[in-house]
Amino acid sequence: MTSKHEQKYLRMTLNERIQHFLLLSSFIILVSTGFALKYPEAVWVMWFRWIFGEYAFEIRGIVHRVAAVVMTADSIYHILYVSFTKRGRKLIVDLWFYKKDIADLTGTLKYYFGKEDSKPRYGRFSYIEKSEYWALVWGNLVMGATGVVLWFNNTFLPVISSIGMEVATAIHFYEAILASLAIVTWHFYFVIYNPDVYPINKAFITGFLTREEMEHEHPLELEEMEKPDSGSKKPDDTKEKVNTVAGTDNEISENTEKDTEIK
Amino acid sequence: MKNLLYKKSSGLIIISLLLLAVLISALFTYQKIKAKGIDDCLVCHEDKDLTMDKNGKKVSLFVNAAEFKKSMHGGNDCTDCHQSYNPDQIPHNPKKTNVDCRMCHDNVKSDPDNVHKNVQCNSCHSAHNVKSAKEFGKNQTETCLGCHKNKNVQIFKGSIHDNKNVKCSDCHQGGHTVKKISKNDVLGVCGKCHSKDKEAFTNSIHQVVLRQGNSKAPSCLDCHGSHQILRSKMDIESQGCLKCHLDEKMFPGEGKGSTKFISEYRVSIHATIQKDGKQAAGCTDCHGNHMIQQGDPNKPSVSRTKILETCSKCHSKEVENFKKSTHGQELLNGNEKAPSCATCHGEHNIKSVSKSDEFSKINQVDLCLKCHQEQKLPHKNYKGEDVLISNYKESYHYIALKSGKNAATCADCHGSHEMKKVDDPDAKINRYNIPKTCGQLGCHVKQLSEYTGSVHEVSLIQKHGADAPNCSTCHGNHQIAKNDDVKNRMASSKGLVQLCSDCHSSVEMVKKYNLPIGRTDSYMNSFHGLAMRGGSKVAANCESCHGYHNIRPSSDTLSSINKKNLPVTCGKCHPGANQTLFNTSIHITDSISESPLLYWISRFYILMILAVIGGMVMHNIFDLIKKVKSKNKHEENNGEDDK
Repeated sequence: MTSKHEQKYLRMTLNERIQHFLLLSSFIILVSTGFALKYPEAVWVMWFRWIFGEYAFEIRGIVHRVAAVVMTADSIYHILYVSFTKRGRKLIVDLWFYKKDIADLTGTLKYYFGKEDSKPRYGRFSYIEKSEYWALVWGNLVMGATGVVLWFNNTFLPVISSIGMEVATAIHFYEAILASLAIVTWHFYFVIYNPDVYPINKAFITGFLTREEMEHEHPLELEEMEKPDSGSKKPDDTKEKVNTVAGTDNEISENTEKDTEIK
Repeated sequence: MKNLLYKKSSGLIIISLLLLAVLISALFTYQKIKAKGIDDCLVCHEDKDLTMDKNGKKVSLFVNAAEFKKSMHGGNDCTDCHQSYNPDQIPHNPKKTNVDCRMCHDNVKSDPDNVHKNVQCNSCHSAHNVKSAKEFGKNQTETCLGCHKNKNVQIFKGSIHDNKNVKCSDCHQGGHTVKKISKNDVLGVCGKCHSKDKEAFTNSIHQVVLRQGNSKAPSCLDCHGSHQILRSKMDIESQGCLKCHLDEKMFPGEGKGSTKFISEYRVSIHATIQKDGKQAAGCTDCHGNHMIQQGDPNKPSVSRTKILETCSKCHSKEVENFKKSTHGQELLNGNEKAPSCATCHGEHNIKSVSKSDEFSKINQVDLCLKCHQEQKLPHKNYKGEDVLISNYKESYHYIALKSGKNAATCADCHGSHEMKKVDDPDAKINRYNIPKTCGQLGCHVKQLSEYTGSVHEVSLIQKHGADAPNCSTCHGNHQIAKNDDVKNRMASSKGLVQLCSDCHSSVEMVKKYNLPIGRTDSYMNSFHGLAMRGGSKVAANCESCHGYHNIRPSSDTLSSINKKNLPVTCGKCHPGANQTLFNTSIHITDSISESPLLYWISRFYILMILAVIGGMVMHNIFDLIKKVKSKNKHEENNGEDDK
């Protein structure tokens, strides 16, 4: 048992962690600089102005656009990643919605209401993570599109008329609220506040989950890994696991993960 | 008694006898001379060269026969007057007895005061060309001046009195009781004709002092002269007031000394500007002439109560304006702190307003501030006036003045004489008149023409809207600052928006004037407003789109926000706006009617956010509860295991 408890399970390769890092940092910057525009009298916006001085507003705009470019580039890279890497393609397959997800949802709710004794066993990604991912995709598309319209308003003004600009502004704002709240309520709950992972799920830094975390959150995935017929997914064989799970086509992550796992 | 009567009657008899003898002898003599006759005398005395020596002087003995015959005495014989003349003897009158006119003219009385009592009758009436009183009177002046060769008397000839046929006798009394006129009597003599002036002079300080026994006090003659009689405007320097008032012995001391005033006066505009060859205003023009007063503060023509009247003799327009002004009204009401003409212009040292330093625009402020400043207010003012006025010194008007430019000072806006309270409909600073005042020639003419026809102007002037903005509503009044001055509310976008919002987001105003609602809120939440709030320096504010002086409603084709003009207006910042279709109102107040699409989008999102985030929160809560529960259970189990 002890060996199993000390076991580490790869969740995110370095490549993915970098993607995640770019996403989270640009997201935070976009949220803060975006709401700084919408709520200019908020205390933290005042600080922002106090720090950056006279041209705070202009700096805010530039930073927001830079972060937007970073996020867009990150997203484009991600599209390439999921299109052209084995692990990427697997990611999409694993993140896709299946009938099981509906069953999982109802099962979970039943479990919450005491109708069932145990929680449904989630795979690599629960319906929660899946909806977060696709919400992010949706959000990125919407925010990117409306953002471009607002950025290049002089170009788009004649094309979409004044009502178009108003609509773009409104969507950009409401979508921002929706996205931020979604991240704060769900993503932050599952990776931070959740008693199982509190104070934080370190996977986004280390790339690994513990066996306990795997048992709690991804029992089905763990089970599949440990199935003898899946062979290479044996947890003991870390090297093998890394090779299969992380995918050989990503050398950077492979090497780093090897280093960390040997410990 | 009888004896006495007898005595007297015997005397009378003697006198009668003597008279009879005289008459007989006279008849005899008369017949004797008559035989000689007037023509006999003229045989010799018609010779113009006939002379005799009299006390060493050559005296003409010529008699103009024609004149004599026409004269009053023409019917008389020579010997009627020249009695005791012996025609056979030369000289005829060795005893040198004078002709005694009283022989016949015994009714002529001789007054003991008559200055002419030792003057021979013929000195005036002439010897042979004696005229009737009427005829004599006609040439009285010449007769008198014939003897009175004194220059001071001679100038009577051609004087106003002479021209108006006033004779010597009118003043000096005529006939045979000619008098010298003493100083104390002068007023009475002149007053015979000049009764009004006499009355005025009687109460004047000059006459009062004279009555008190000051012999130096002037009478009529001291100013008008005795015989020359000067009238109307006198040359003050040589003849008038200064004769006495420059004399420091007569008027000693600092306070009473008139020399100080006179030296001030001499450089004043009144003295230096000429009118009809004399000072524009001399002493008497202000102080009056005959009725010059002192003492009673209300009597003199230069007193506070009368000065308006006095100055208005020349400056009628200014005084009329002043009387209607607050200053003037207070003065007329007897407010002793109210300013009169002299308070601002001074008294003797009155200077040209346009040329003097004192009234130069930069100093004029101090002149006004002398009273209107820092609690020293001499009259009731509304609170904060001191602050208001001191603010002027920080205004661009004053800054520009100081740097040598021409800019508005107190009088330019308030009027120089016609300053009135702000609530007076005629006041230059009345809210309805302010545009005219600011836009006066030489000032903000261009701005006024822009403002004219604007929605603000229309509602102020044409609709007489008491709340419609005039110049000062936005620019302030005394503390007017330049557009880029931080003190100017409009210098920053925030200040400007706040300024417009003062009215346009006031519930009261919006209701009262049916203003479009939600202008401020919708702007504040638009990108323009958000950027402005965030500190952007280029974000559009109210005036970027609406203009400032010439703000017009969108229905007006001249309006910058008229649909036709929007591409140009927006195009100032957004080059793409030229072909833009403005199919939504700019100030969207998020109402379903104004922009249904936007309304539904926002409703959709709000619902979605509530549903999604609500669901997530609920999910979290259930998860948390379950996890806490199972953890507790787990711990209990563990605890049991330990036991």
